[in-house]
Amino acid sequence: MKHELSISAEFGPQLAEGALAARFREQQIEPYLPLCEQVVLDFTHVRNANSSFINALIVGTIEEHGETVLTKLVFKGCNSVVRVLVESAIELGLEKAKRIDA
Amino acid sequence: MASLRTFHRIVLPAQINARGLLEFLALIGQPITTDDVLLDFSGLQRIYPAGITALVAIIKHWERSGRRVHFDGLQQCSITAYLQRLEVLSACGIAMPEEFRRFESTAKFVPVQQIGVDVTGLGNAMASCVAPGGDDMDQPLSGLYDLVWYVVTEMANNVRQHSGGIGFASAQVTRAEGFVRLALADNGKGILRSFQDVGLPWSRDMTDAAAIRKAIEPRVSSKGSPTNEGVGLTLVTEMARQAKSWLLIVSGRGVLTLSPDKNIECRELHGGANYPGTLVAVTFLQTVVQDFAALLTAAKVEAGLLHRHNPTTRFER
Repeated sequence: MKHELSISAEFGPQLAEGALAARFREQQIEPYLPLCEQVVLDFTHVRNANSSFINALIVGTIEEHGETVLTKLVFKGCNSVVRVLVESAIELGLEKAKRIDA
Repeated sequence: MASLRTFHRIVLPAQINARGLLEFLALIGQPITTDDVLLDFSGLQRIYPAGITALVAIIKHWERSGRRVHFDGLQQCSITAYLQRLEVLSACGIAMPEEFRRFESTAKFVPVQQIGVDVTGLGNAMASCVAPGGDDMDQPLSGLYDLVWYVVTEMANNVRQHSGGIGFASAQVTRAEGFVRLALADNGKGILRSFQDVGLPWSRDMTDAAAIRKAIEPRVSSKGSPTNEGVGLTLVTEMARQAKSWLLIVSGRGVLTLSPDKNIECRELHGGANYPGTLVAVTFLQTVVQDFAALLTAAKVEAGLLHRHNPTTRFER
C-alpha cells in the first residue's frame, strides 16, 4: 500500500514553521510507516522551504527508524531548494541514528 | 507641589547607518536608573533597518520594564516623515499628523513590523518588497526573493522560539548602491542566557560575544529536536559569507561582524553597554544571488551539514 501526502495541500507553497512540520510528522507520517510499503512526501507546488521545517519533518523519522526507513520514504516533486534541504535533513537524521546505535 | 522628574536623555546621533550603528547601540544600551527616558530625534538624519528595529525593540523593552518613554525633537528632525512611512512612530505609539502623501513602498523599504505567529507571511511580505516579482521562479529576482524569505523566516523562528521577548523586522533597498538591508531585533533574553537557561554546561562562564560565536556553529541550539536542530543562525551566517555580504549579530554585550572578505570579528559593545535582546542584520548586493539553491548547497557543505548524496534516498519527479 502506498500512502501519498501532498505537502502543499497541507501547508501551501511555503514551508517555514518547524512546529507544524513536527506535528504533521507525528500525525501523518509515523503512524503509516509500519502499515505501508511506501510513504510518499509530495512536494509538488512547494515554492520555498527553510531548514527548520524540513528538518522537523524528516530528521526525527530517520533518527528513530534508521537508514532502512529510506526504502519506504519517497520524496516527490522537489524543486532544487527543497531537494538540498531534504538531502541535508536525511544526512542529519542518519548521523543522529548512528549516535543512538553507538 | 509638583514633583521634579529626572529623565535619562538620549540624543540620537545623526547617522544610524553601518558606521554609526554600534555607537548608537552603545548609547541605548547604557544602564538606566530613572523611570523616564527621553529620546531626542532632532539631529537624526539617516537610519538603517538595524537601527530602526533595535530602537523599536528597546523602546518596547523600556516600556515593559515600567519606564515612561518621551519623544522630543520630532518637529525638528529632517526624516520625521520617513519615520512615519516606516511605521517607526506608530510602532512606538506616537500619533502625529502626516504631512505627506503615502506612496508604494515596494522595492524601497519594508515598514517595521512586529514578528508574530505568521512567520511565512512575514517572509513573503519582506521578500516581495525587496525582490518584486521574485515569487515567480522564472523572474530575475527569484534568487534574491528566496534568500530574503529564507533568512527572514529562520531568524523570525529564532525570535519566537528562543527570545521570550517581542521582535521586529524591517528592510530597505538602496537602488543607487544596489544594497538590500534586512534586520530583525528582539528584546528578549539574548543568546547567552538562552543557552544558560537550559543548563548547557559550557555556557556558564561564557561572554556574550563567545555565545554568539558558539551560536553560529552547526547544531548548537538551546531547544533541540524536533523543531530545532541548531542550524538556523549557522546557515544564515554561511549564506552571508558565501554571498560576500555583511552580517552583524548583537546580543547582550557581544557583537559579531562578518565582512565581505569573510573575516569574522567578535568584540563587546563600547562603554560596557548591554543590548537587551538580539539583533541580526544582513546587507547584501541585490545582484549577488542568481541561483539560491546553489548558494544554499554551498552554505550547507561549508557548514558541514551536507557531505554526500545518499544513494538509498528516492527522489521522484
